[in-house]
Amino acid sequence: MVEYEGVYKTFDAPVLAGVDLAIPQGETIAVVGHSGTGKSVLLKTTIGLIAPDRGDVRIDGESVVRARGKQLNRIRRKVGYVFQNAALFDSMNVLENVSQGIAEDELKRLPGPELLRRVSEALEHVNLDPRAVLTKLPSELSGGMRKRVGLARAIVGRPEILLYDEPVTGLDPVNGTVVHRLIAQLADEMGVTSIIVTHDIDGVLPIADRVAMLDKGTIRFVGTPDDFRNSDDILVRAFLHREVPTEELLEVV
Amino acid sequence: MDAQSRITGALEDSHRPRRSLSPLGPAGSFLAKLGRRGERVAEHAGQIALLAWGIISLTFTGKVSLREILRHVHWMGIQSLPIVLVTSTLAGVVTSQQGGYQFTGSVPLYILGSVVVSSVVLELGPVLTAVVLIGRVGARITAELGTMQVSEQIDALHSLGRDPVRVLAAPRVIAGALSFPVLVAIANTVGILAGMAAAQGTLGLSPQSFMYGAQLFWHNWDMFYSLAKGTTFGLVIPLIATHMGLVTRGGAEGVGRATTSAVVFMLLAVLFLDALFPPLLLQ
Repeated sequence: MVEYEGVYKTFDAPVLAGVDLAIPQGETIAVVGHSGTGKSVLLKTTIGLIAPDRGDVRIDGESVVRARGKQLNRIRRKVGYVFQNAALFDSMNVLENVSQGIAEDELKRLPGPELLRRVSEALEHVNLDPRAVLTKLPSELSGGMRKRVGLARAIVGRPEILLYDEPVTGLDPVNGTVVHRLIAQLADEMGVTSIIVTHDIDGVLPIADRVAMLDKGTIRFVGTPDDFRNSDDILVRAFLHREVPTEELLEVV
Repeated sequence: MDAQSRITGALEDSHRPRRSLSPLGPAGSFLAKLGRRGERVAEHAGQIALLAWGIISLTFTGKVSLREILRHVHWMGIQSLPIVLVTSTLAGVVTSQQGGYQFTGSVPLYILGSVVVSSVVLELGPVLTAVVLIGRVGARITAELGTMQVSEQIDALHSLGRDPVRVLAAPRVIAGALSFPVLVAIANTVGILAGMAAAQGTLGLSPQSFMYGAQLFWHNWDMFYSLAKGTTFGLVIPLIATHMGLVTRGGAEGVGRATTSAVVFMLLAVLFLDALFPPLLLQ
């Protein structure tokens, strides 16, 4: 269970202005909204990469905001984070990159063949051929492959929650569909809670259990994909149908 | 007014020179700017102190990977040897030549041995090595860690439960502290030999006379002093470089800005510390 309670964050201007949201175990939720509405910031508060100014974020009842050191690391081990540009370590090959997803203590104890099996299994899960990519550096991979290696790194530690920051940004529609299918497949097979921050509303609606829309730092809408499609909210409609802003909409914005 | 005119107007406004907003006029603005700059420097100094404390704790609890330290010693130390050798050779030759120019006809030439050895060991060896390594090692560390920061690789480390100070900063700072004094010792030796060769080649001063002059004013303490400088610079340069890399913000431009600032900070720190050494250790 992931809970956001009155989360506020201000940088130069307010970004999050009191976000309240509870995501039960096993749910796939898409967090959508226009650029600059605080989606990625909200995702980063989930594992303490950004500390909120006020409010609390809890994972299975434990406060991420108050956790420090080993406790914070233990909470983070429950979570796999897929970064917008994969954030693979440039100096490491795919094998080394993916193995970083395994807890450090476990990694030290793991015999070589077992480590190779775990990494290969994670790569196969994201439809990559381990033999073809294991020794490659991130710079030798295409954008779609990098995203999938990032996903493999996030799942190799067997997390309970997966956070996706713009998982299909920069990918062509075919690779975007592949990644969305992978997200749905991982949610089904691993039973993980998935939080997907995205602009790609068409791609994410078929795989999400719920959709939350952020606007001006607060949750403007939360409901099922059907509720989202049928919503009367002017901003939801504009976002869903990519409407050109009208005077009425501009007033709301 | 249509949208285009409003945008044009806003752009023109943004390019217009701003009037001072301080009630004390331009002087007040200048002081306010100076205050903000001072505040930022103090903030950096505080963060560097915290980083140093973190590295010390990790080092003494044995949590830093030896393999990583050796990897950094290799590129910071061994791979820096060619540029350090070239710099120290030239420093020795130039000191010898200029000393010869000043002493010929006025002071016994064997004094040149003392001048070259003292100049190289006390000042040129450690400081020139530090300056070269600021460019080769410090700038690379800031650019590397800065790129990792803006491409979310540092966030990825945090998310994977890894401590960037332990994984990235500590091995670099420890490797710097280990390899810099060795490089300074090599630079001193090569600088002195180059100075001796130049004195023989251009002034006809034999190596025996050069060494006689060198021994006249030699103190064993000078070598300790030189290596102490090397160790201090070896700690400070990677420390500032890693800090500046880890606080980088703002994409490729941010990495460029952080690297430039880091080089300036490192140069100032080396020169400031260099000025502190004589009153502290040469009394």
